[in-house]
Amino acid sequence: MSVAAQSLAQGPARIRAARWATALSAVCALVLVAATAEIVIDASAGHTPLVPKSPAIASWLSGLGAHLDYRIFLVAIILAGAAYLGLLAIARWAPEARLSTRATIALIGVLHLIVFVGPILISTDVFSYIAYARMGVEHGLNPYLHGPAAIKSDPVFAYVGHDWRRVATAYGPIYTLISYPLAPLGVVGALWGMKLMALLASLGTLVLIWRCARERGLDPALAALAVGVNPIYVIYGLGGAHNDLLMMLIMMFAVALSIRQPRSAGREAWAGGAIVMGALVKATVAALLPFMILSRRRLAPVLGALAALVLGAVIGYIAFGVHGIDVVAALNRDAAFVSTDSFATEIAHLFGKPGVFPIDHDLLKAALVVIVLHLMWRTWRGYDWVAASGWTLLAISVTSTWLLAWYILWPLPLAVISRDRRLLVATLAIQGLFILHQVSPLLVPVQ
Amino acid sequence: MSASAAPDRDDARFARLPPWLRPRSSEDPGLGQLRLIETTVLVLVGLILLIATVNDLSRQATVNKRLVADLQTWRAYTGHNYHSVSIDQELLGSQTKREVVCGNTAPGAPKATTQICLVIWGPQVGGKRTIHGGWMLPPKAEDERALRYGCFGDEYVRSLCPG
Repeated sequence: MSVAAQSLAQGPARIRAARWATALSAVCALVLVAATAEIVIDASAGHTPLVPKSPAIASWLSGLGAHLDYRIFLVAIILAGAAYLGLLAIARWAPEARLSTRATIALIGVLHLIVFVGPILISTDVFSYIAYARMGVEHGLNPYLHGPAAIKSDPVFAYVGHDWRRVATAYGPIYTLISYPLAPLGVVGALWGMKLMALLASLGTLVLIWRCARERGLDPALAALAVGVNPIYVIYGLGGAHNDLLMMLIMMFAVALSIRQPRSAGREAWAGGAIVMGALVKATVAALLPFMILSRRRLAPVLGALAALVLGAVIGYIAFGVHGIDVVAALNRDAAFVSTDSFATEIAHLFGKPGVFPIDHDLLKAALVVIVLHLMWRTWRGYDWVAASGWTLLAISVTSTWLLAWYILWPLPLAVISRDRRLLVATLAIQGLFILHQVSPLLVPVQ
Repeated sequence: MSASAAPDRDDARFARLPPWLRPRSSEDPGLGQLRLIETTVLVLVGLILLIATVNDLSRQATVNKRLVADLQTWRAYTGHNYHSVSIDQELLGSQTKREVVCGNTAPGAPKATTQICLVIWGPQVGGKRTIHGGWMLPPKAEDERALRYGCFGDEYVRSLCPG
């Protein structure tokens, strides 16, 4: 058969395949919206193990669904995950059939809106944030010295998770100060404030991802899609109004400044400073700094980081005393926690141990140090520092004995703009394993 | 721009270092072998994590099956088909597969009435396990040794009660 005849024969088949792929894209988008809406509507019906006790902020939705149980939640999150992977696969292998830029933005917007108008999902952390703010503003207590148990009479106390009632804040002083203006708004007002902050942080992060992807010659719409409709990002991160979103916003701000061409010492100094400021929101983001410095090999980011460190330390000390700037103590305390969802616990079980022992903590820390040193060496020798930072954040979450769903979001914004595709595959694989680990109630429900 | 072995303007400071130690602005194109090793390690780590996850999932499913049997046992013994029944897996050791199952003796909110706790272990037979004893708890009480009364069952279970 001649080449011309072959193309004639293949033409209609290719057109049909493209149509199917386009239809599949639309179906995936609809499944994502439907699964997210199902979770939010059912969560509005009231408190369950998946929906923390909360003031009634979404009662107008409460008549529409049943209480959110594990089975519905897991089915919805698995369907959403499959639809998300479907969208990415179509964008990768059938780019002509992928969602248009406008449809991508609309999908991100709709998912964000659905979660924003609904109740708090999965985690009580947001009530701890509010409690720490109210301790400082309404009760004159230092949240770095006391847990929420010190304000038992405060209306927010009833909503703080049991495990965290006696725990002082582990977040940085800049975050605590950012949360202070919300304290006088009351619990409901502060809750909406926290939700709005998470929403704006998420949208800001996506805008910065867009700019970074364009700067690096990558498809900005695909990068924004890979983060903005990710079910763990939307349901766990945004749904819980976690301050990790604010940390990621500052992280991406620093990355955007640093990679912008032409390079400028001023921008790199600001980028170094931004990373330190991000670390004073949540310490994890500090992991980016050594890679940025090694990659740039200039004094500017070092000076920027030092200036921000001095400024942040002075602000933290004035506001909270020496405890407000003792980030290491908070990190050491949190590093000792163990969660059943951590990979460390799973591996301990695999080897017949009941759980993680102190020696395992040391082994995991040693493994993390080896990984970071290898990545630092690779960065020194020209490897993409954004990818190296992403690998480090992924390694931190995998080696942590205290793993929560929103921790495996940290590397995602870096993965979608990195020059190493393996990072995105690994990040999504880890997210997939995390979800897989949740599905036991589907196999044998306990009733 | 192709990856160059020559140091760029910024890297002139490091010219005295041996070539393998000098910083680079982009990766050496001959790093295919290192990438292969890295990818192999990543795949192996991924496989270990996958095996650990599946193993844990199956372990959880086995535990869930046991808990379902415990609930059935409690409901059959008490004749109450209550849903708010608590199972303590830690009290007698999380590795012992011995559980303490507590629930109300009359309708009401969880722990609102006198509670009966059963100590259960052994293999599942017909979807139930063996009751080795138990105790009562007053309304609104947590399961603390000092609050247990009316203990019954074998010597081991009786030793868990005061006096």
